[in-house]
Amino acid sequence: MNELLQLIANGLVTGSIIAIAAIGLSLVYGILKIVNFAHGEYLVFGAYVAFVVNVTWGGHMIIAAVAAMVMTALLGILLELGLWRPIRRKGAGIVSLFIVSIGLALVLRNSILLWQGGAPRRYDVDVFQVYDLGPIRLSLSQIVVIVVASVAIVAVGLLLARTTLGKAMRALSDSRDLAAVSGIDTDRITAHTWILGSALAGLGGVLQGLVQNAFEPNMGFRLLLLIFAAVILGGVGSAYGALVGGLALGLMMEVSTWSSLPAGGVDAVYKPVVAFVVLILVLIFRPQGIFGRARTV
Amino acid sequence: MSGLANAQFWAFVGVVAGIYTIFALGLQIQFGFTGLLNFGHVAFMAIGAYTMAILVVKVEWPLWISALVAILVSMLFGLIIGLPTLRLRADYLAITTIAFGEIIRFIAVNQQTLTGGPQGTINLTGAGRASSYNREWLDFQGWAQDQLEVILGDHATRDVTMLVLIWIVAVALIVLLQFMVHSPWGRVLRSVREDEDATSALGKNVFSYKLQSLAVGAAIGAIAGLFFAFQFSFFSPQDFDPLTTFFAYVIVLLGGTAKNWGVPVGALIFAFIFAGTRFLDFWPLSEITSADRAFLRLIVVGLILIGLMAFRPQGIFGKKEEMVLE
Amino acid sequence: MSAQNGNGRILELSDVVKHFGGVAAVAGAELDVRTGSITALIGPNGAGKTTLFNIVSGFYKPERGVISFRDERIDRKPPHAIAQRGLVRTFQITKALTKMSVLENMMLAAPNQPGEHLWRLVLTPRASRSREAEVREKADELLKLVRLDRLADDYAGTLSGGQRKLLEFARALMSDPTMIMLDEPMAGVNPSLGLELLDHMKRLQEEQGTTFLLIEHDMEVVMNVSERVIVMNEGRVISAGPPDEVRNDQAVIDAYLGTGRRPAAETEASE
Repeated sequence: MNELLQLIANGLVTGSIIAIAAIGLSLVYGILKIVNFAHGEYLVFGAYVAFVVNVTWGGHMIIAAVAAMVMTALLGILLELGLWRPIRRKGAGIVSLFIVSIGLALVLRNSILLWQGGAPRRYDVDVFQVYDLGPIRLSLSQIVVIVVASVAIVAVGLLLARTTLGKAMRALSDSRDLAAVSGIDTDRITAHTWILGSALAGLGGVLQGLVQNAFEPNMGFRLLLLIFAAVILGGVGSAYGALVGGLALGLMMEVSTWSSLPAGGVDAVYKPVVAFVVLILVLIFRPQGIFGRARTV
Repeated sequence: MSGLANAQFWAFVGVVAGIYTIFALGLQIQFGFTGLLNFGHVAFMAIGAYTMAILVVKVEWPLWISALVAILVSMLFGLIIGLPTLRLRADYLAITTIAFGEIIRFIAVNQQTLTGGPQGTINLTGAGRASSYNREWLDFQGWAQDQLEVILGDHATRDVTMLVLIWIVAVALIVLLQFMVHSPWGRVLRSVREDEDATSALGKNVFSYKLQSLAVGAAIGAIAGLFFAFQFSFFSPQDFDPLTTFFAYVIVLLGGTAKNWGVPVGALIFAFIFAGTRFLDFWPLSEITSADRAFLRLIVVGLILIGLMAFRPQGIFGKKEEMVLE
Repeated sequence: MSAQNGNGRILELSDVVKHFGGVAAVAGAELDVRTGSITALIGPNGAGKTTLFNIVSGFYKPERGVISFRDERIDRKPPHAIAQRGLVRTFQITKALTKMSVLENMMLAAPNQPGEHLWRLVLTPRASRSREAEVREKADELLKLVRLDRLADDYAGTLSGGQRKLLEFARALMSDPTMIMLDEPMAGVNPSLGLELLDHMKRLQEEQGTTFLLIEHDMEVVMNVSERVIVMNEGRVISAGPPDEVRNDQAVIDAYLGTGRRPAAETEASE
């Protein structure tokens, strides 16, 4: 039982990070109808910006995290203006845009590798500080992740539900043409969506770096598949679905290793495979996910 | 290593280009002809190589039977991937097939007794006992080399022999693909690529054709895997990561999707960039460390992908009227 | 090649329902098409005609209802299976395969091509080749019929809208279908060629017993060519019968008047 509780706690930690990144990916998907394969690299970018601020320059982790969000948001908007928008104007279709996002992922990841090298990095935080909450043991990093993720998720939720910008973003996500016709400046809202989605990705990268202890540039790709699984699970185009999908996926991945399960549970190294299997099963049996509407999958 | 005049260097480039040509031809059927955005293509290569190696080393079957079974197993895996994913939209299909590929790689890394684990096939008969699947192939290659010596004399080295063997197969496959693309079967595939609904309305079972396309692509991918295995004598899971599939896409897109003779051209350009930047040492390459060169290469690959999509989606040899990427 | 149903009805629909996002595009359609007839399907914009075509040809699955073609239920069958059974259709917004040549478009449409099956292509190349030659001949014939033979080797993408309609019409004939559903076959086609098409339809009907169901807005065509007219409005069939009867049916007049339109010749946007 204690083991299960611990696994659930770990699952919430993993799940929160995936959820934050998934919300970002889902928002972008909602407006552009494409899967941004480079999204994982935005996370890595955020993680490394935070590294530079925290370790190379000696700044506090909070400043590092904020810097990561700001810089990743900047990256997002620059890419929107310099790459995505011009290519969209040329009338590129789904396949072209996807291939472009693959090219972008390669460029981003290897630029970071060129910049920082491939050796694993770590933030300047105390990794040994642990807290015992009843039967559960959590490190400082894990607690920070849960707290920060929760705050971020609530903030994003409020933004989407209550503000004019949020409503415009949701409208655009539902139907680009209708939104344009009702006077919404699609370019401006698209830009804002990128900013928000990228900032969330940057934050996700920092959190993942915290939890993972040591990170390197290839973590983006590994996370991307998990994020994608979460988005599919929750329902494409639904930010709320991305949240639920992320948490659910994190829980499933961790709890699957529970030793009381038949066959002693899944071997810990196969946790990502659990996520992939979930992804495939969802696509076979309920492609629209938990909250999605049965359409363009 | 010396400069551009080194014949062994070119032979090596040619071998790598040959392997990539065959690999990319398998992708050509799936993506170029049929429009399937299969991004897990490298899994077919892995399954081909690993199945052969496991059968030869662990089950002790003859090489040629193992190779044939390897191709069949790869085709079977193609069908398994296809069944749940072929109904998906292009980018979903892409990411799901990557996931399948990663599952295969995970298994290869973690099922040590089956696959030799992260160190690869050298461990197939247990750690510390170097095993090899290559013996029969090397015998065959030796025989081929003897035949080649009659024509080429001293130039018939191991690498040159491999070069000739691979390219005989590659050219044969290109000719085969040419025949197929112009056949009625190929016509249906091309129709599926452009408009599935129109194709269905004409009485063709689109799903079945997509499966066939995957299966044939898988078989060819497996052949590439076999040559990879023979050339390098041992391999490990990290030889089969998604990057390899991305390279195949660059080659197919460069040459022009569905332009079969463009594939070897794309592969040669590719192999030259890769082998060249790895082994050649003139300025400015000499200023950059080899690790950094690897990163730069991949940045260039990424830029080529973006550039192609933005400026010349039909590739070098493609025709704009036949562009169906949308 | 006539296809007699037990009761002379080649296509029967009963209580067919299809919703899109809460709106009933087809709300309990009930109709039948007489074997060997030329029947028109008319109705104001948004009545559900093309949706009905999509349902019958298998592209949409109805939530409810029974569809029978030649006494066989087809409502759960996929599009290719329905086409193979001899019920073919054309599309309102033409689906010519623009990256392939006109001739290839035609040859694709022929049924029973051994060359389309991988193992037969490899094992029986001669059978494949001879069938290919047959198919080619028939394609040439039909292209001549619709005056597209000179464009046979051009990319279908270079054809005008009207020419693509002709191509779809000719393509539909490649498989010698038992019944053809034509979605606005005359739109964009020049009038004299349109008349030739109608003549060809009538000839096919007489000589081969082919059944035609056409969605058409040009009332002259409807009145002249069809033996029976089915009228849809708001997802339902509101009237069916000989053209003159239907024209004077109050329900039909109301339907058209209600949407501010009259059942006269008009240009039509998509549904």
